[in-house]
Amino acid sequence: MVPRPEIAHWLAGAIALLLGLLLASEVLVGSEVFRRRRWRAYLFPAVVIASSVLLWMITIFSTFSTMHLLAHAVWAQAALLAGAVQLALVRDKLTSPAWSLVPGVALLVSGAAFLVHEPNDWLYSRSAFLHHAIGWMLVVSALFPLGQALRPRQVVWRAGFALTFVLLAVLLFADRDSATIFGRFGAGGP
Amino acid sequence: MRRALLLGVVLALLAPNAALGHVILESSQPVTQSRLEAPPNEIRLRFNQAVTVSPGAIQVLAPDGLLLSGTTTVSEGGRVVTAPVSRIARGAGYTVRWRVLGGDGHAPAGVFTFGVGVAAPPPTEAVGASGATWRDDAARWALFVALALLIGPLVVRLLVVRGSVPARAERGFHLLGVVAAFLVIDVGIVAFVLRASNALQLPLGDLLYGDLQPFAEKTRFGVAFLAMTLGFGIVAAVLLLAWILDRPALRWPALLLSVTLASGLSLSGHQATEDNAGWLSQGADWLHLVAASVWAGGLVALAFLVWPLAPSLRRDAFLGFARLAVLLVGAMVLAGAYLALARLPEASDLWQTQYGRFLLLKLGIVAVALTWGAAHHFLVRPRLEAGQQPNVRPSLVGEAAVALTVLLAAAILTNAAPPPAEPPAANARSAR
Repeated sequence: MVPRPEIAHWLAGAIALLLGLLLASEVLVGSEVFRRRRWRAYLFPAVVIASSVLLWMITIFSTFSTMHLLAHAVWAQAALLAGAVQLALVRDKLTSPAWSLVPGVALLVSGAAFLVHEPNDWLYSRSAFLHHAIGWMLVVSALFPLGQALRPRQVVWRAGFALTFVLLAVLLFADRDSATIFGRFGAGGP
Repeated sequence: MRRALLLGVVLALLAPNAALGHVILESSQPVTQSRLEAPPNEIRLRFNQAVTVSPGAIQVLAPDGLLLSGTTTVSEGGRVVTAPVSRIARGAGYTVRWRVLGGDGHAPAGVFTFGVGVAAPPPTEAVGASGATWRDDAARWALFVALALLIGPLVVRLLVVRGSVPARAERGFHLLGVVAAFLVIDVGIVAFVLRASNALQLPLGDLLYGDLQPFAEKTRFGVAFLAMTLGFGIVAAVLLLAWILDRPALRWPALLLSVTLASGLSLSGHQATEDNAGWLSQGADWLHLVAASVWAGGLVALAFLVWPLAPSLRRDAFLGFARLAVLLVGAMVLAGAYLALARLPEASDLWQTQYGRFLLLKLGIVAVALTWGAAHHFLVRPRLEAGQQPNVRPSLVGEAAVALTVLLAAAILTNAAPPPAEPPAANARSAR
């Protein structure tokens, strides 16, 4: 009943890449041009909300350990809330710039979940390295939405937010779980 | 130089290598919760990656707790863990407890059962498992409350105050629905893990890497948990979309899905697992649960949303809910009476069994709630119909509190074991 973990990770990587490219496109051409067609503004929140449903499906496949069940449930809820808030901002249901902080909180919580569910050191195995790398990257990248809320005109925050997803995709595509890191280090490899 | 270094790191990470997951028990012999006709000579566990073990990594326990397994060994590069067993007799169920150390440093552990010549007991009845504790009761109560807060306000908004409502009240309905949907999911996860932990019997740190698969896949409550987790995740998304997209009609699929998913609790409780259980008892339990949820959650919606946030709708909402409450109370009483008769065929069971005493306690609280409701129906309703504006909110809050207390009694009753029931066939034979 349990799908191979890397299949789930690569699916998540593909979605993260799509999100990163969507955000990067908007940064490159500017919001005014990107949102000239209204439906484009809905793409990012729609994909995030859809990914939360997929994450619920992964959650119910993650009963092989309590920690994985809890971590995936946290990611699913963080994605749903962040996507919903983004959609509400697009629809002008929410207007305060403070709501832009919600994706930051979602990144922070998701990063913490990555770090908590990895008990080993960075170089213990490839899986441990990636979990630490993803966890800290998400924690640090929570600053981008914060910067965006405080300095909405500076493009660096939105660019950083977009690159976060691209980098997340790279790391998820690299996930081989217990394999050795960089081909030679680590105790966890077979 | 920097580019080359970056490229090297990326290529190294992407380089093909063994693509294995976290330590997962891929298969076992005997199969989890299987029925064998002949006693096995060994227990064999296959993992998805190499593990290391201690000599007692696999323990096979007889129903009386006697250890039947020998020294554990590994083979096939550490992926297969085996322990010899002896003195296994036909006609009993056996418990296998295992614990290994994975290459990733995690120490997963698990428990499963098998039967020889008989059906295997569920993993919740494994040797060493404890019964429900106050934590299970509290989790079940929280689940009932969350379900009531989800279903009740949805019914009030869709059936009682159907037209437009003030914006603040509408936001309140949306917010309560979404929060309740998330609560149902999170409390459901806690309740599931607590139930599994009673059988796993692991300290908290180890429980985090406990194998929940036998409980998720081989028990009714596990399958119900999986369906409810996924389903209520969709409900939460639909309710959020109903608010953001201004599509109140989306509340209908959310309500229908929620009511349907609530059946998971009935299909995995005593009304589905006792010997004399059938589709009628499961249906009655589901009706009982849904009616109680609408009643308790509806009262909360009236007291905390309609009364303070939509003063112009108080009269119509109260009168509309009063009409609905008659139906709800009727359904609750009829279904509850049928279930009580099914679980306690003798009147003396009410005071001679623990289950019966819990039921008496619940009936006492229900009587208080019904008296309160009757006072609203016969004293407050005529005044509202006459155009008066009595301050009913404190009384509504009180009735809602009593209703939520009824759910607490129901949670304790759900986790208590009813006296053994005769199967329908036996009943028929004795009747003849």
